[in-house]
Amino acid sequence: MGGYGDVQLLREDGKRLDGRALDEMRPVSIEVGVLPAAQGSAMVTHGLNVAVAAVYGPMEAHPRKIQRQDRAVIDVRYNMAPFSTSDRIRPGFNRRSQEISKVTAEALESVVLVELYPRSKIRVEIEILAAEAGTRCAGITAATAALADAGIPMRDLMIGVASGKIENIVVLDLDKAEDNYGQADLPAGILPNTGEIAFLQMDGDLSPDEFNLAMEYNFKAAREIHDIMVNALKQKQQRGEA
Amino acid sequence: MSNGHSGAEQRLVTPGEALGSSSGLRNGSGVVERNGKFFSTKFGYMKNVNSTISVVPTHSSYMPQSGDFVIGYIVEVRSNLWFLHINGPFQGLLPMSLAPWKVEFGESRKHLDIGDAVFARVQEVDESHNVVLTMKGVGLRKIAEGAVEAFPSHLIEIFLGKQNANLQKMREHTNARIIATDNGQIWFDGDVQAMRNVRDLLMQFKGCLNGSELQSMIDNALN
Amino acid sequence: MVELVPSLLRQELGRLAAVDERLDGRGRWEGRGVTLETNCLYNAEGSAKVTIGGTIVYAGVKFEIRAPWPDRPTQGSLMCGAELRPVAHVKYEPGPPSPESIELGRVVDRGIRESGCIDMDDLCIVPGEKVWGIMIDIHVLSDQGNIFDACGLAAIAALRTAIVPAQRFDVGEDYTLKVNGTPIMASFTRVGGRFIYDPSEQEELGGDERIHITLGDEGHVHSLQKGLKGVFTPAEFAEIFEVAQQRCAELRNLVAEQEGN
Repeated sequence: MGGYGDVQLLREDGKRLDGRALDEMRPVSIEVGVLPAAQGSAMVTHGLNVAVAAVYGPMEAHPRKIQRQDRAVIDVRYNMAPFSTSDRIRPGFNRRSQEISKVTAEALESVVLVELYPRSKIRVEIEILAAEAGTRCAGITAATAALADAGIPMRDLMIGVASGKIENIVVLDLDKAEDNYGQADLPAGILPNTGEIAFLQMDGDLSPDEFNLAMEYNFKAAREIHDIMVNALKQKQQRGEA
Repeated sequence: MSNGHSGAEQRLVTPGEALGSSSGLRNGSGVVERNGKFFSTKFGYMKNVNSTISVVPTHSSYMPQSGDFVIGYIVEVRSNLWFLHINGPFQGLLPMSLAPWKVEFGESRKHLDIGDAVFARVQEVDESHNVVLTMKGVGLRKIAEGAVEAFPSHLIEIFLGKQNANLQKMREHTNARIIATDNGQIWFDGDVQAMRNVRDLLMQFKGCLNGSELQSMIDNALN
Repeated sequence: MVELVPSLLRQELGRLAAVDERLDGRGRWEGRGVTLETNCLYNAEGSAKVTIGGTIVYAGVKFEIRAPWPDRPTQGSLMCGAELRPVAHVKYEPGPPSPESIELGRVVDRGIRESGCIDMDDLCIVPGEKVWGIMIDIHVLSDQGNIFDACGLAAIAALRTAIVPAQRFDVGEDYTLKVNGTPIMASFTRVGGRFIYDPSEQEELGGDERIHITLGDEGHVHSLQKGLKGVFTPAEFAEIFEVAQQRCAELRNLVAEQEGN
């Protein structure tokens, strides 16, 4: 959070600059089975963000030292394409991507029934094609849909959503300007059926009450995206007739 | 239908979805129980066979089980064993003692080299998921001719049909020799036209969305 | 990961070649269906998505302002790179750019650069001080064979839709990048002993050497690349060169049609 509190992000009618209500998320669409070479795949469009995920495996885990005798390991790579942001991103090692990959993998390991596949590896590849605040959440949503498409067993469908604070007001799903000039961002990976949280990060400044409201917004949005995902999965099975 | 692929009334479920009360029922593959209720863990079709609720995934990877009939490819040759890719999460290993030939120590490559394909059976899957293969048994051999195509392993049962009825029809229709294995591999051999016939059918069948659709595709194509 | 080449596959490809057939039933010089979509990436200044069968590739164009080379004070630059990330196939592994992805990027780069479709002097902002650098990044999302042609087509189609973001860099009004030509690549792989056009994944796996030909609008060749182990004769090359002329012209029409819409 940049702490540029003086930039106006709310209109006089109380709505946000793009016309959304405080608890309204950007439009989300999901398409399943988009990459023929992968075992499972999905594309998530969340506002202007575009995230694609591919799943390979479970497969023999190499090198052997990464194997776990009691469960599968999930190997996540979150990557932003060079053209995904307004300033080009140089391909290669990136601390931010490494961190997001690590916590996303750990979140997925809490959702996938990894104990069914000891010693094996499941590869989850997340590629961000267009970034406009909220890519890690779109990536989590895409990864989940791709895992379901690949037939990987999971306790629930994990949905990535974020809420935050702008002009001292809690809002759902920050866009780019709100993310740049807002006061807090709270991305979460939510399991709508079990009511659990498997992924959580936050930066900025929130009071306990603001945190509670932001999480409430996150749960509400997660249920909405969950329904979109279920619909997308079923549509693939019904040749788009759903 | 007893195979659970009975068409329109099938319920398509997603991971985490509540499937109803567990009372008087057992949970099978793809279903877990929590607080007296069943939940799906897979994206697929729910089925109830003999009071066991399970979910047949729309897509799945092969999990080796003892007794399975498989086609494997040699990926590594050691002096006393071979490692095989069997289209599953773990490689299979074929010890020299379970090969159909008398192999001198260090001469394993003369019999099976990297890239060769074999018909084998899963002898055992031990608790640490070592998959031991055997080539001792009827029909188990190195595959020297024909072609192999991948096919979704969870649909092989439908591909074969009851008492291999579908397979038999397909053999007659295409004029090819065809063998389908549990790990989602289909071997076929014949003249050029027979091979083309099989390929055309497989390409069509791979487009199916589920078992019942595969069955109707097979019925339409072969009757 | 070195891919396992099944002995049976090579044997079967040879058997099919003998009767001039292909695994998927195509004719020897027949390509798979191609789709092209442009302006499909929100943050890129030019973009394209190409599918060839199950192969999917995106290309995005970005601009930067930099100082020109001292010996070429009025010339901007063009760079084209490809990434073969593990998303695209189980065979691709994470890590620094592989020799394969560097080769791919450079072959596409040469075809565009040497066709002369970008006049480097057009990229001058202030002689000796500021010029535009154009970067085309190609992202392969699904590899089911012949990523070279898909990457070549995506790169030129993206470039041809590019808008120079002068406003964002405070050097004037945005304008459409001037691109004088549509270089197109055609790729051939030796399968079962003879060359075929537009190899599928299986044909690449069980095939031998490949030849990539990039042709300009007048049918002039601008870039060639022979890859993988194998040798070929001048007569074989003459044959595929002729086929390349036809296939490239067809794909160039596809780009023109897309732009007309």
